[in-house]
Amino acid sequence: MAEDPRRPTSWLLGRASLGLLLAVASILVLVISPLLGSVAIPARDVFQILLHELSGGALFAQPCAGTPTSPRLCGAYTVIVWQLLLPEIVLALIVGAALGVSGGALQGIFRNPLADPFLLGISSGGTIGAAVLYVYRIEVAEADVYLPLFAFLGSVATGLVILGIARGRFSSVETLLLAGVALANLLSAILSVILLYNPNGSVQVTFWLLGGLGLATWTVDGIAFGAVVVLGSLLVLNGRELNLIQLGSEVAQSAGVDSRRVRLRVILLASMTTAVAVAFTGIIGFVGLVSPHIVRRLAGSDYRVVLPGAALVGAVFLLGARDISFLAFPGSDLPIGIFTAFAGVPFFLYLLYRQRRAVTMGGA
Amino acid sequence: MKGGTAGPCLRLQSVSVHYGERVAVNDLSLSVDPGEFVALTGPNGSGKTTVLRAVLGFHDPAQGSIELFGRPTADLSARERALKVAWVPQTESPRDNVRLYDYVLYGRFPFHGPLDAETQEDHAVVRRVLKEVGLADRSEDGVLSLSGGERQRAILARALAQSTPLLLLDEPTTHLDIGHQLDLLDRVRSLSRTRRVAVVAALHDLNLAARFADRIVVLSHGRRVADGTPSGVLSEELLARVWGVVADLELDRRTGLPYLVPRELSVDRPRSPTSPFVGPVHVVGGGGAATPILRALADEGYRLTAGVLHLLDSDQETAASLALPTALESPFAPIGPKARSQNRLLLEAARAIVVAPFAVGPSNLANLEDVRPFVPRVPTFLFRTPPIQERDFCDGRGEVAWRDLVAAGATEVDGFDGMSEGLGRLFSSPPATPPAARVAPAS
Amino acid sequence: MSLSRDGSPPVPPRRTVSVVLFVVVVLVAAGCAVAVTAAYYALRPSSGPANASEKTITVTDDLGRKVTVPLDPSRLAVLSPSIMDIVYRLGLRSHVVGVDCYAAALGGLTEDYSPDQIALWNLSPSMCVQIGPSFDPETLVNVTPDLVLASTIVSVAAVEEITNTLGIPVVMLQPPTLSGILVDVSLVAAIFGVPVAAQALNGELSEELYNATEVDQSVASFPTVLVTYSVDSNGYWTFGPSTFGESLTEIAGGTSISANATTPYPELSPAQVLVANPDWIVYGVGFGLNESTYAGGPLWSDFSAVKDGNLSGIDSNWLTEPDPTMILEGIPALLEVLHPGTS
Repeated sequence: MAEDPRRPTSWLLGRASLGLLLAVASILVLVISPLLGSVAIPARDVFQILLHELSGGALFAQPCAGTPTSPRLCGAYTVIVWQLLLPEIVLALIVGAALGVSGGALQGIFRNPLADPFLLGISSGGTIGAAVLYVYRIEVAEADVYLPLFAFLGSVATGLVILGIARGRFSSVETLLLAGVALANLLSAILSVILLYNPNGSVQVTFWLLGGLGLATWTVDGIAFGAVVVLGSLLVLNGRELNLIQLGSEVAQSAGVDSRRVRLRVILLASMTTAVAVAFTGIIGFVGLVSPHIVRRLAGSDYRVVLPGAALVGAVFLLGARDISFLAFPGSDLPIGIFTAFAGVPFFLYLLYRQRRAVTMGGA
Repeated sequence: MKGGTAGPCLRLQSVSVHYGERVAVNDLSLSVDPGEFVALTGPNGSGKTTVLRAVLGFHDPAQGSIELFGRPTADLSARERALKVAWVPQTESPRDNVRLYDYVLYGRFPFHGPLDAETQEDHAVVRRVLKEVGLADRSEDGVLSLSGGERQRAILARALAQSTPLLLLDEPTTHLDIGHQLDLLDRVRSLSRTRRVAVVAALHDLNLAARFADRIVVLSHGRRVADGTPSGVLSEELLARVWGVVADLELDRRTGLPYLVPRELSVDRPRSPTSPFVGPVHVVGGGGAATPILRALADEGYRLTAGVLHLLDSDQETAASLALPTALESPFAPIGPKARSQNRLLLEAARAIVVAPFAVGPSNLANLEDVRPFVPRVPTFLFRTPPIQERDFCDGRGEVAWRDLVAAGATEVDGFDGMSEGLGRLFSSPPATPPAARVAPAS
Repeated sequence: MSLSRDGSPPVPPRRTVSVVLFVVVVLVAAGCAVAVTAAYYALRPSSGPANASEKTITVTDDLGRKVTVPLDPSRLAVLSPSIMDIVYRLGLRSHVVGVDCYAAALGGLTEDYSPDQIALWNLSPSMCVQIGPSFDPETLVNVTPDLVLASTIVSVAAVEEITNTLGIPVVMLQPPTLSGILVDVSLVAAIFGVPVAAQALNGELSEELYNATEVDQSVASFPTVLVTYSVDSNGYWTFGPSTFGESLTEIAGGTSISANATTPYPELSPAQVLVANPDWIVYGVGFGLNESTYAGGPLWSDFSAVKDGNLSGIDSNWLTEPDPTMILEGIPALLEVLHPGTS
């Protein structure tokens, strides 16, 4: 960026304090995460094992050496930390980032602070995809591969339906949003029917419904990371267009933005990014809703900042939700979607309240 | 500056634009040269705005071609077009309180690829246009904190940041007081002079058009009826023919430019050539809210009725000047049963109902409530700006009545365009037939 | 009670519990047999079979409800696979006209019964009584039963509807413990007047339980074991305290790693399994689950029992259905895994 125009110090200070808060939260969440799991492992062992594995064995050649942990138990701890906790933490970060960036992009393209992949039914579509497998009674042994695949396809298909509506001639932003909400309801009705008549699959489908990090392995992390980095970057590149679209699609068009094409592109990319998240973790609501708002508060409404910022905040938010679920209910592996909802729903109501006030106060 | 100086900036050849069945622009040919300041003028609904929107690609012409600097607009990408022409809309409603500086910087969009950062030149251009529109000292403020006049100059600055050789302005002064109107157009005028930027401005105010434009193009019912210098075009005859007003045309002694002083509406108002039987449309209003609607609909050739209006109310005066059948009540009195039954008769006869954004008080709440039985049988359009909550002065009962109408199937519209489009669709098919024909006995 | 031999760890107190349990089982079984036989002979119709259907008997079911039912009813609806096992083993298959089916309209037989059971018991979708997702009374009326035997998988509301609206008596069979199965055998036998078959079956069941307690006495220690009946990406579903699966593990000489869980059917995370480090893993197969399903579970190959090959699959029905087969097949199968050569 060339010489930046001057900014008043109060502007910087206000945001700096909030930014500092976010940074502290991030570090706290990152440090505390490996200590929380369904089994309590002494912190000293955790960090020795982590450093041992991360350094390829150079540091702490004998982890748990100075602690009362027996070598056998230490072996179990190593597997838990390295193959269970760490992939889970990494997946939480990736999925949080994916949900954050696609939530931000959808809020931008719909010019509505309440847009969110969850509300638009993109996430529910993924659950349908997973549930459809049970209608066809696929061999459960192959579920690890096919469930994420079907969930991905279900989400993308839902995104395409929304796109189809978006291409329609009479599609104002409001009707699109309403259509998405209606679609989400329709999908959950379909899901209920599928579950009702296929009780065997209900446990696995419920996993998608409630959202969880249980599928995390290094392989899953690798696939998710690659997909989210590519799709997320493509989304972030639309920041300038989204900035202009906030002024109205005609103004954007007059300033050189091909509004229609950008709309199609962003909805498609956001659907796919969400689909990756849904494929591996099921429905995790409200991360996509909340994260962009936090960034707007911190760093203003420039979408070139909001999108990557929402990815960052989403990652920390989701990992934080995981930590809180373990802190609140130690030892139990409760679905993470429940905790994001606990944090997200009050925030959502607050937004509704604020928007209502804005509507009645603005206008003139 | 980009764009050839050899040919015209903008050329329209036999362009027609349709809204459904309604012809908004009819076989219009027009050419604008570099550095020219052209005012497009004409009564409401004459097609001024539509011409600009067609150039910007918001409407595809049904016939004819539009060329920007020798290239057909259909061949241009949004980005290429944005490098040739910039737009100043009537209003713009930013959602976020973006810094003015950043907002103006948005105008530099067509100069950047997705990975490019802003250049020194971008910042230089932004600082220059902010100075030119007189907002340099407010560059750090959020756009939502600007006043109406400043907001309009901010929009101008954003459009200017596109550094295009052609600038389109759509009624840029509608929301401004007279001082800010003069200020804004003066700035545009001098920019056009100093930087040879061609300007096409849709202006309904003839005095402003005459004062700032090099050339005035008068449209009526989508056709060009006059084109030339202000002194050459403006005549008392034209005003009577196109606007239906009797006016005195005088010369400003200082500028030598003509200005008009309207006297009264001419008796033989021209009606739409299309059909004398479009309507009747019943307009519910009061307190002046219905005046612009009545005038616009009358311009478009609709047969109108109105009510219940209070005597001496400004809407009532408008209705009287247009000689409309009107349900009347004595000044300041609550609407009584007699006026209401009169009003219901008019509503009964209406083929469409338009509810103006009038202030709802205890004395005229009945106006809103009496519409209810006719919805959805009679298509009803509600103006929703400003929102009902802000003009409901009877403890929410107005809002309740409003919600009832919406729930029953009335259409909420944001402004004239929404109403015109809705009515246009309504009356375009099947072809309007006089109500009398329907009750005539079959032979 | 028993001695701790040189160096071996002291016998867990659990073994004492097993013995006490066994004695109770035998006493209860014997008591039931006597009571049922007495009741049967007291109530047995004196005249010919034409009169038989008019006779009734009042029984107290497992929920403590007193139900008056026709003696030796000819049309019986059995709304639980475990009760069907008792009915079949007592030679009463010919009385059965209806069985439970999940989503009967979709031919839901396969949701409730394994292919072996469907073949052995000669079940057909035409016998379907829909108990889920919601109870469908029409499907019950359709098979015109005189008596319904049901477990608590049928909702209280459905039971009330059958009893009060349809006027068909319902006997609820929900054994609280392994020995409760013997009580249920006696109860069913009393209704149908087959005391001899009941005595023979209860004899076999007692024999198996006795054999298992003898093994428990003889072995040096109980291996730790994970008994899982289902798996998903979060972990392994298993039996907690006071469940049949847990009782079965204990009587077969094993210590369940989930014996101290806080819920009856907990899901253990792979981390919890790793730390508990069970000597053995026993998994339920059938209903679409097989070894490869479990092998796809999280960190499966990192468990030392898996590495050492100390794992075995047994029929899910034997672990989950509280019926005679659980005792006759499930206990020997588990004994064979945990203490080979003793069953």
